[in-house]
Amino acid sequence: MNMMKQEIENRIAIYALISRLMLVEVDEAFLENIEKDETLLSFFPNYRDWNKRKELSNSELIEQYYNVDFTNLFLMHLVPYESFYTRDDQMIESGGDNPVVELYNDLDFRVELDTARVVSADHIGVELEFMYMLCTALQKALEVDDREGICELLEVQRAFLKEHLLEWTPLFLINAKRESRTPLYHDGSELALEFLLSDFEYVNEKLAQHCAAPSVEQ
Amino acid sequence: MTKSMNNNEQPTFVESRRTFLKGTAYSVAGATLAAGVFKTVADTPAVADSKFTPTPKTLSFYPPLEEWDSFTELDGNDWKRGGTGRNGVQSADNPDGIQATEYMLVPTSCSNCEASCGLTAWVDLSTYKAGGQLAVRKYMGNPLHAGSRGRNCAKGYATQSQMYDPDRIPFPLMRAPGSKRGEGKWVRTTWDEAMAKIGKKMHDTLKVGDEISKKSIMYHVGRPNENGFGHRVPHSMGLDGYDSHTNICSAGARQGTIQWSNDDRNSPDWSNAKLIFLQSSHAADAGHYFQQAAGRIADARKKGAKLVVMDPRLSNSAGMADLWVPCWPGTETALYLYLANRILNETGIDGKSLVNHEFVKNWVNWDRLMKDREYLAYLVEKKYIKSVPAGDSYEEFITMIGEMYSPYTLDFVAEECRIEKRIVEKLYDMFIDAGARVATYIWRAGPIGHKGGWMIARSAFLPFVLRGAMAGDKGGVGLHHWHVISVNGKGDKAAQAGERPPKVDVWNEIAWPPEYPLSSYEMSHIMPHLLMDDEWRKKWNSKGLNVPEKLAVWIPRMYNPVWINPDGFRWIEALKREDKIEMSFNLSPTWSETNWYCDFILPVGLAGERHDQHSEATQPSRWLSFRNPALRVALEKMGWKPKDPTRATLEAHIKAGLGEVWEEVEFWANIMTHYVDPDGSLGVRKYWASKEDPTRAVTIPEWYQAAFDKLPNLKKAAKAAYPDSKYPNYEMMRDRGTWLEEDNIFKPQERPIKKVGDTYISHGHEYHKNDVRKDEFGVILAKDSHGKEKAIGVEVDGELMQGFHTLTKKLDFYCEWFKEWKWPEYAIPIYPTNKEDRKKMTHIVTQVHHDFMVKENDFALNTVFRLPYNIHTRSVNSKHLMEISQNHNPVWVYTEDAKRLGIKRGDAVKVTISDTVSGLESGYFIAMAVPTEGTMPGVLACSHHAGRWKLKNAVDIPGFEHKLGIMGVGAPLYEMTMDGKEGTLKPTQGIIDGMNENKDSWQFKEYNKDLDNIWWDGLSGSWQNAVAASHPDPIAGNHAWHQKVSMELAGKDDQIGDIYVNYDNNMKVYQAWRDKLTRPLDSTDTLRRPKHIKRPAVPLSDKAYSVNLI
Repeated sequence: MNMMKQEIENRIAIYALISRLMLVEVDEAFLENIEKDETLLSFFPNYRDWNKRKELSNSELIEQYYNVDFTNLFLMHLVPYESFYTRDDQMIESGGDNPVVELYNDLDFRVELDTARVVSADHIGVELEFMYMLCTALQKALEVDDREGICELLEVQRAFLKEHLLEWTPLFLINAKRESRTPLYHDGSELALEFLLSDFEYVNEKLAQHCAAPSVEQ
Repeated sequence: MTKSMNNNEQPTFVESRRTFLKGTAYSVAGATLAAGVFKTVADTPAVADSKFTPTPKTLSFYPPLEEWDSFTELDGNDWKRGGTGRNGVQSADNPDGIQATEYMLVPTSCSNCEASCGLTAWVDLSTYKAGGQLAVRKYMGNPLHAGSRGRNCAKGYATQSQMYDPDRIPFPLMRAPGSKRGEGKWVRTTWDEAMAKIGKKMHDTLKVGDEISKKSIMYHVGRPNENGFGHRVPHSMGLDGYDSHTNICSAGARQGTIQWSNDDRNSPDWSNAKLIFLQSSHAADAGHYFQQAAGRIADARKKGAKLVVMDPRLSNSAGMADLWVPCWPGTETALYLYLANRILNETGIDGKSLVNHEFVKNWVNWDRLMKDREYLAYLVEKKYIKSVPAGDSYEEFITMIGEMYSPYTLDFVAEECRIEKRIVEKLYDMFIDAGARVATYIWRAGPIGHKGGWMIARSAFLPFVLRGAMAGDKGGVGLHHWHVISVNGKGDKAAQAGERPPKVDVWNEIAWPPEYPLSSYEMSHIMPHLLMDDEWRKKWNSKGLNVPEKLAVWIPRMYNPVWINPDGFRWIEALKREDKIEMSFNLSPTWSETNWYCDFILPVGLAGERHDQHSEATQPSRWLSFRNPALRVALEKMGWKPKDPTRATLEAHIKAGLGEVWEEVEFWANIMTHYVDPDGSLGVRKYWASKEDPTRAVTIPEWYQAAFDKLPNLKKAAKAAYPDSKYPNYEMMRDRGTWLEEDNIFKPQERPIKKVGDTYISHGHEYHKNDVRKDEFGVILAKDSHGKEKAIGVEVDGELMQGFHTLTKKLDFYCEWFKEWKWPEYAIPIYPTNKEDRKKMTHIVTQVHHDFMVKENDFALNTVFRLPYNIHTRSVNSKHLMEISQNHNPVWVYTEDAKRLGIKRGDAVKVTISDTVSGLESGYFIAMAVPTEGTMPGVLACSHHAGRWKLKNAVDIPGFEHKLGIMGVGAPLYEMTMDGKEGTLKPTQGIIDGMNENKDSWQFKEYNKDLDNIWWDGLSGSWQNAVAASHPDPIAGNHAWHQKVSMELAGKDDQIGDIYVNYDNNMKVYQAWRDKLTRPLDSTDTLRRPKHIKRPAVPLSDKAYSVNLI
C-alpha cells in the first residue's frame, strides 16, 4: 500500500497539471512550476527545447503564442466538450440533463462554471479535474486505510475513465495535438493522452490486486 | 458515498514520466497546479423537488400557451451557475436556492420596425403579489406567430429598455403659456385638459364646414405599424387630411409595382426560392421585414439556394452572398434590362426559349400594346423600335421587345453600371439556373434613392415576369394584397353609426399637389414647403383651386419629420410659424426633435403598451399580430377593473407606475366622443361612440370584436375556444397575440370566378349575369350597385379567373394609364443608352449619375441603407441599441479614392451637397471617414439614420419632482443657429457628460442602475438630412435620397457633427425639381389622379376627384 500512496500523489499532480492546462490560459506561475521541476519538464520535451523560450520572456510567450494557441484550441476551432462528441446532434448539453453533471451531483460535487469559465461541466479540463478530485479522495482513504472506500473510489475512477474520458478525449487530444501551434500544447495534449491510457490500465490493475470481485460490483 | 470524498488536503510529491507514477518526487503540489473549479455542497440537495427542467430539451423551448397566465421561471442570474441542479429552488427552508419568479406572458408584437414580429411581455407577478410594482421584466418572442416563429432581432428585445427609458415622457406635456415653439418651456398637463383644448380647436375648425376646413386638419403618420385605423381618423371627420411618411421611405418601389400590378408592393416566397436576388441590404440584414425575411432566406440557403446582393456597399448581406454585384447607384435599370435582353434573345442549353411563354402569354397585357398601333408608332418615333410590327400576335410582341432590349448589352452595362463583366455574366447564369424560383423584394435603396428610381423597380420585375417568377408561385414573387390583413380600422359595427363613414368630397392639395397626380403616396416631405410657398398657392388658386394657406391642427403620430425628412430647417421654420400651423400635437412615446416644436406631446404606448391589429406581407400567407398593453391585460386578468372602461389602458399604466401613457384607439374614441363632437352635431361622434352605450366611447373589446368579425376563420376559432364570451374574437387575440388566417397562398390570380345559377361571384361579391360582360381582351366587367362598371376578372384559356389587381387583370408591361397621364415615353420599362438620351430622359436618370461627377473629389453619396440595430428615429430611447450602434456610421470611402485625396481612417471630412437639377449648393456636414474596399470607387456611403440631436439636456416641469431628461442615452447636445436662410448645428456635449449631469432625473432607477457605465459619446453621425434638399421625384413624388457631394478634409475648426445648411437654396432646389421636371394637371384634365390607384388613404368621392382648371 505504501507504493500506492506515492502513486496516488503522482496521479494527483498529473491530473492537476493537465486539467489546469486545458481549462484556462497559462500564467507565468504555472510555467515556472513546470520549468523548475525537471521531471515535470521532461513531460514537455519539445517545449523544453523550444528556441523561442530563449528569445522571449514567459509573459511575451503567453501573450504572443500561448494565449493564441489556447484560444484556437479550446475556444474557437475545437470543441472541448464531451457532449459534442457523444451526442448524435453534436450539441453541447449545458444543463442538468448532462450525464456527467448527473454523475457529479450523485457524488456531491458541484462545478463552479463561472470560475471555470466554461459553458458546460463536461469540458475536458473539468473532467480531468474531477479525476484529480477523485484521486485526492483516494489519497485520504488510503491515509485512514478505508479499504472499502479505496475500492469504491477506484471503481468510480475506472468507470469515469471508461465511460467518459476515454470515450472522447483521445479524439479531441489527437486533434488538439495536430492543430496546436506551440510545443506547450502539443506536448500537453500528448501527455494527457498517454497518461489517460496508462492510468486506465493502472486503475484496472489496482482493482484486480486489491479489490475482490464482489466489492467491485457494489 | 465514502466519507473520504470531500477531503481537500493535498499530497506533496510525485514521481516521473513513462510510468508516470514511479520515480522521484515533484517539487510542485497538485493543489498548486489545479484550477479548483469544484466545490462540494453536501448540505444542499443536488436535485431539489421542483417542476423545473434543469435545461430545456431544445433551444426552441417555450412555455406552452396553457401556462402563459402563470408560468414560473428560474432567475437568470442563478441559471448560469448550474440551475436547480445545484441549489434547489428558493423557499423559506432554502433561502440560498435559486429564485423562481411567477410571470404572466402577455402576447404582443414588436413596434420598432414594420415587420411586426411576435413578442411576449413577461409581467412579473411575484414582485407584484409581494407588494411591489407591476412591471415587465423582459420581452421574448411569440412562438405562435406564423411570421416570426418565436424569433426577434435586437430591436425586438430592446422594447424592454425603451419601456423603462430613463427619460421617458411620464405625462402629457404642453408648451408653456406665453412661450414660443422651440423655446423648450413645458408644463405638465392632463389628458383631459389636452383633449379639451385640442378637441375644441378641432370642433371649431370642423364646424365651419366649408371646403378649406376639410383640408385644415392633417394626421401625419410615421411608420403606422397597424392596418387602417389611422385612415379612419380623418375619414370619420369628413377630412382629406392624411399624410404618410411613405414618400421618404418606399414610394419609388411602390410606383414601379403599381404600374405592373396595381399593387402596393411585391411579396416573395423566400423559403422555396432557388435564388435570392436582393437589391440592397434590405431583407437580409437591416431593412424591411428583416428578421422574418432573414430567417426564411436562411432556410432557403440551407436547402441550397444561392444569394445575390446588388449594392454599391458591401453590406452584411453582400458579405455573405454567393455574389456581390456592386452597381453604380441609380443605374440598376440598365442591368435589369440587360437580363431581359439575354432572356429574350438567347436560348437555354437545351436550345429552347428562356421566356416562360405560358405565363407571359396568359398573364401579361401584351395584347393591349399590340392593338395600340398609335402607341407602337410612337415607340418607333422614340427610336425604341425600328418599325411597327405587321401583326398583333404574341410572337410578334416577343420579337418586338427582343429588338427593343437588344441595346442593353454586356458592354453597355459594364460601362453604365460600372460592374465587372464577369460579375454581370455570373449574375445572369445564376438568374437563369434558378428558373422561375427567383425571389426578390424590390424596396428601398435604388427606387427611393434616385430621380426615376421607380423605373428601377419597374424594370426589375421585367426579367422576373419573362421567367415566370412573378406568378406568385412557390419560390417566386407574389404581391402584397394577397398576403396581408387589414381590419384595424374596421370596427364600425361596434360604433353607434354601425357603418363606415361616407366618402369625403374634398381634395387636399397639401397632400396631393397638382404637380404630382401620379405620386405613389402623399407629398408629405414637402408639406412645410407647400405651406410656405405663397407663390405656388396663388398660382393654383388663380387656376380655380382652393389651396389652404395654413393648417388649423397638425397631428404627427409616432413621427419625427423634423429630423428624418430632408431639409429639416425648413420644417422647423414651418412649425415655428403659428400662422401656418395653428396648433400641433405629437402622439409620441419618446422625445424627438419634432416634439420640441409642438404645442402638446401626448405620450402613447410602445409595443407592449397599446392595441393594434398589424399584418404584413412577409410570406405567402395571411397572418396578423395583435398588440396588447401588457400591464393592462395582466391587471385585468388578476381581477382589476378600470373606473372608466373606455380608458382602461391609461388607468392601468398609471396604476402600474409606468406613467400617464395612453394609446391611440382609446384616445381617439374618447376625444371624438367627448370633445371634438360632444353633442353629435358635426356627425363625427356616432363613428366613435359605443353602440352598446352611446353615452360613452367604444371600448377595446367592442372595437376588436367587430373588427375581427371580418375574418371568418378567426371568428370561427374564437367562437369555439371562448363559447361563453361576449367578445370571443378579442379574448382569443388578447390571449394569443397572433393569428394565421390563411396559409400557402400561391397563384391567387388563378382563383376561379364562380358562377352559381345566374350569379357570378368574385372576391366575395355577387353580380347578376345581366350586369356582366367580357371585353375584347377577355376582361370580365361587372356593374356594381351604383351602376359603375369595373373589372372583376379575366378569361384565360377559356377559364374565368380573378386575375391581378390591374384594370387589365393582367400584369401591365404596357401601362396604358401612364401614357394617358402625360408620360407615354415611360409607359414601358426603358432606360437611355447614351448621354444625349440621358438628358432627354432626365426623369428616369439619377441625380447622382456618373455623368455629373466631374471633379476628382465628386462622389455619389449612398444614404439610405439602414443600420440593423437602429429604427430611423425610434431607437434613441433604448440604451441597449444605442450602445451597440455607436461609431457604426462613418463615411465609407473606397481606399484608392481616399488615398488620392489624402484621407485616412478616422479623419474628419467635410461633405458638401450640391444639386444636379438646379446647380445649387445646399451646405455641408462633417463626419468621420473610413477608407474601405467595401464601397465601390466613386461612391461614398453614410446612412442617414444617425445623428440625433437635442438643444437641452433636460427641462424643468413645474410641479414635477425633478427635471425631465431628453433623449439622454442617444442624442448629444448641440447648439443651433438659424436665420430664415441659413442654419448651423454644432455639438457641444456628448452622451456621457450629458447623462452624468442629469443623474438625479433618471426614471425607473432600479432598471437603469447601469447607466453610469455609459461609455459612448454619441457623436457617430451628423444630421445630414437637414443639409439635403427635398428632391421630389417628378412622377412617383418620393424624395430621391442620394446626393451628389464633394468631399475634402475638414478644416481645423470643423468638428464631426457640425452641419451648415443654406436652406434658402434648398427651397429653390425643391422648386427646381417641381418646375423643371413635373407635368402638372392642366385645363385638359378632368381628374386629379387615376381613380383605380389605391391612394388617397381617405375614400374620396367623384366630386373630390374631379378637377376643372382654368
